[in-house]
Amino acid sequence: MKVFMYALSTCPWCFKTKQYFKSHHIPFEYVDYDLQNETEQERILKEIATLSPHAMGFPIVKIGSQVIVGYNPEKYSELLGLKNSVVA
Amino acid sequence: MNADSRKRALRFLYQKVIDPLGYKFSPDHDLVEFLLDQEVMLERKHGIPFCPCQGLTKNREENMKIVCPCIPFHRDHFDAMKRCWCGLFVHKDVTNPDELRQIPVTELGGR
Repeated sequence: MKVFMYALSTCPWCFKTKQYFKSHHIPFEYVDYDLQNETEQERILKEIATLSPHAMGFPIVKIGSQVIVGYNPEKYSELLGLKNSVVA
Repeated sequence: MNADSRKRALRFLYQKVIDPLGYKFSPDHDLVEFLLDQEVMLERKHGIPFCPCQGLTKNREENMKIVCPCIPFHRDHFDAMKRCWCGLFVHKDVTNPDELRQIPVTELGGR
């Protein structure tokens, strides 16, 4: 299942989310929104708006077709079939 | 002003705002230190200590709603979580901030 994350380089919860995927050996891709140029930020904003309207709180994680706003390791585990694993 | 001095100044200023709102700094000292570091950095970059966990857009009015402490602009949302989005501030009765989770506003029926 494809895992993608919209993050901010200044956000500790985004960092924890990255750590979660790394510690569970889940391949994922991410983009640090705040480190992108203006054009790219606008493109990302449009993308986020289609996934989760009114959400500018990070992290925003897409697991398959599911979108999770905010750090939620229990939900990540559930969607990834890691329900009984210890979460980071 | 160096970063440590600015952090102390922000702590002092924020305390005055959050106390009457029923909030306090998170008991997670490492988190608080990290977030204040980020805010000092954001203030140096943008001139304003924005929330490190919410994204800036081209919309100045919306951006002003994420200037720390942004509790007054998101009161219902944050009260429901007992914390602000980044977790710098928690309700005064919170002793274990690890029990609190970020809940998207859409899950609470708001926006």
